[in-house]
Amino acid sequence: MSRPPLKTPAFVIHFLNYGESDRIVTFFTREFGKVKGIAKGARRSRKRFSNAIEPFSHATILFSRRDENSLAVIENCDVLNHYPKIRADLARTMRASYMVELVDQFTAEGKKSAAIFQLLEGFLGLLEAGHGAEETTLFFELRLLTLSGYEPMLEQCILCGTTIDETGVTLFDTARGGIRCSKCSRGEEGCIPVSTGTVKTLLMGNGMAPDRIPRLILSENAIRESSRILRHFIRHTLGREPRSLQVLDEIKKMM
Amino acid sequence: MTGYAPPIRRLIQELSRFPGIGEKTATRLAMFILHTPERDAARLAESIMEVKRKIHFCPVCFNLTEGDVCEICGDPARDREIICVVEDPDSLVAIEESGSFKGTYHVLHGVLSPADGIGPESLRLRELVERIGVNSVREVILATNPSVQGESTALLVTKLLQGKDVAVTRIAFGIPIGGDLKYVDSMTMTKAMEFRRGM
Repeated sequence: MSRPPLKTPAFVIHFLNYGESDRIVTFFTREFGKVKGIAKGARRSRKRFSNAIEPFSHATILFSRRDENSLAVIENCDVLNHYPKIRADLARTMRASYMVELVDQFTAEGKKSAAIFQLLEGFLGLLEAGHGAEETTLFFELRLLTLSGYEPMLEQCILCGTTIDETGVTLFDTARGGIRCSKCSRGEEGCIPVSTGTVKTLLMGNGMAPDRIPRLILSENAIRESSRILRHFIRHTLGREPRSLQVLDEIKKMM
Repeated sequence: MTGYAPPIRRLIQELSRFPGIGEKTATRLAMFILHTPERDAARLAESIMEVKRKIHFCPVCFNLTEGDVCEICGDPARDREIICVVEDPDSLVAIEESGSFKGTYHVLHGVLSPADGIGPESLRLRELVERIGVNSVREVILATNPSVQGESTALLVTKLLQGKDVAVTRIAFGIPIGGDLKYVDSMTMTKAMEFRRGM
């Protein structure tokens, strides 16, 4: 027997066209975590879905499902935020697409996480407000890793445990998921050079409320180094490169 | 399906591979083919093979064509100085059916879709830029869909054509003819206001 419809705010994190006019949509919801459902006639019915089924759209969804493991039937979507400023900028659109892809990859269906929902809401808000796309992405990556249980060890050396203030940092060990101090810096495969300043900046930003992040000014070197270690660590954790990053690289090469 | 003779099962399996066709529909289609006169079935098979043998991309605009170039690129009455960029041949057909455009086209065969790994290398973008460089094109109309993917593709084409001596325009979005303002969603309304014109 079907249950009564459920209503919740959600972000569209992925969709694929199905059949003549349907869409299979993956939402990340505040109350139910990741929900996969079918939106029948989504490509035709502007009335029921009012253009809400678009990547990273924020909407209120109405859906029903037999149980938590079955495919939901999306009955209605009302847009809360289309993020028009993100959509009007190619770099921001690519970053927002990357963020929702990461949420899709780092979450399991049915596992509720209000913190990840808030993270996505907060950081899409930063992108919409015009904060630097690269800096916003860095702190989003780091916080998502932390909330998903993959927090990299940045406070102390992953091998000997000395704090960064004692000996400084020279490497990020991707396989072990943490920094190595200058004493433990025998280069091994998968270790990436990183400076103490970059690690300290990442730590500072990670502890800040999202609305204060725009106040942080990162040097080009800090952005480059942080982006490199986080990208390698995410690739190592997922076992593959996120697709949106590959597309972003293609675009950069073409410009 | 196990009750059917192997040739029917094979036909059902082949038809099930078509987009939007499930096993039940495939079975219905297979039964129709089975009961149809042999010459009609042969005509269907021949049409499928003909499409596979004869249809290729137009080397100029990448529309689907039977000839060396497509009918539009081969038509001397078409304005070659205006190129309308579309996502796929279906969009081109929709514009052609309106009869409102007398320029030429460029078919990208897709749009940027980061989540699916579809980037600029998968689209016919380099060919578009080369076309602008070689021919004396004065306007490029971006007619990709008003979706996130269509918009980002339009933004990318705009960036690629920056610095070239060509006007880049975007098709208008807004209230459909015969529509009613009170039923229009907020985003369409915003676009309609943005793309308003003088009277």
